Amino acid sequence: MAYGTVNTDIVSDSSGGRLAPISSVMRNRIINGAMVIDQRNAGASVTPTTVGAYTYSSVDRLWYLISQSSKFTIQQNAGAITPPNGFFNYVGVTSSAATSVGSGDYFWIGQSIEGFNTSDFSWGTANAKTVTLSAWVYSSLTGTFGGSLYNSASNYFYPFTYTISSANTWTQISITVTGPTSGTWVGATNGVGVRVLFNLGAGSTLSGTAGSWASGSAYAPTGAVNVVSTNGATFYITGVQLEVGSSATGFEYRQYGQELALCQRYYFKVSGSNAPNATWGSGKMTSTTNAGIHAVHPAPMRDLPTWSYGGTVVVEGTSGFAISAIAVTYSSYIATRLGLTISGATAGQGAFATVGSTSSDYIQASAEL
Amino acid sequence: MYKQCKNIDNSIADCVIRIEDGACIPFSLGNTDYQAYLKWLEAGNTPLPAENN
Repeated sequence: MAYGTVNTDIVSDSSGGRLAPISSVMRNRIINGAMVIDQRNAGASVTPTTVGAYTYSSVDRLWYLISQSSKFTIQQNAGAITPPNGFFNYVGVTSSAATSVGSGDYFWIGQSIEGFNTSDFSWGTANAKTVTLSAWVYSSLTGTFGGSLYNSASNYFYPFTYTISSANTWTQISITVTGPTSGTWVGATNGVGVRVLFNLGAGSTLSGTAGSWASGSAYAPTGAVNVVSTNGATFYITGVQLEVGSSATGFEYRQYGQELALCQRYYFKVSGSNAPNATWGSGKMTSTTNAGIHAVHPAPMRDLPTWSYGGTVVVEGTSGFAISAIAVTYSSYIATRLGLTISGATAGQGAFATVGSTSSDYIQASAEL
Repeated sequence: MYKQCKNIDNSIADCVIRIEDGACIPFSLGNTDYQAYLKWLEAGNTPLPAENN
């Protein structure tokens, strides 16, 4: 039997309509767009406090960037409302005060997409591809909301707007963005390919005209609703998708294990709430005060990760030794050898590392963007 | 604020401790925590010396 050859990247029916692609692998460049994975908090509420830095503290891959601390909370499934049909999770922001947004203030959430996953956009070239951002949004407020797409250097922006006409109602939004032929984009690297931002509040000096690419600092469209300015206001979002093309297609569902592995390229956590006394590495006591532990990453990570721990983390030999410090001895994308500070061990004994039995007992590694 | 790290043989390790949370940051230019550390150094700061093992 002879096999034909497909020489086009568009498959059309006899009347010219585009058919859905057979494969949808990585059509959505957003990771955890259905807000399913929450390794850090397992659904607990978080109050963003770190000012002036992309900070990850809520559902996986979602950062916040703020100019004032403690002005809103963020939580997977905040308010316990019914998600849009077909979804089971969302992330919810709740304003904690009627915050006055000054000209240089900012309150944002978003995701940084790795360059390896956006290089085919060919942005910054004559072949720049059009993309479409879609999502389901819900707010206690109505009006014109917004956000932006921008580059790694944060100097080339596309502010966009969308409308929520009915309060407390899930609304599907779609924003089509013509690919920029200018600007500096990192291409196929493990750096930031594109940042996608949803505005919760932005001052005038960080806002600009929606609907076109421009140099500057237009993180948000001028005049958009500032969620943080209304005490108790809510903003919920799920089903976030960024794809090549001039129209939004159905949300690309991924299997749970697949989505988790995608998230773990950037961050993973072993917690006592996952499995009490879970083992996460093994090695030996290198001295009475140090254990060398080899930990294999659950997925190849984006870069050499930062390690930290909380609560009770124990090195088990003939007895258990709680660690008091952690140091990276050797590291690669797939594994790390750690030096764990302990007391009273016997050099040369075999050892394995565990966490305690509560959610406060954890070891984590981060290679976020 | 940061503190240097030492290897088991007390040589200076290719990582630094972020004191606020005890996180250990490897010296890798793609690591955003390391990028923040480099900016901190550029601002004229100096890490605390490491403790001996």
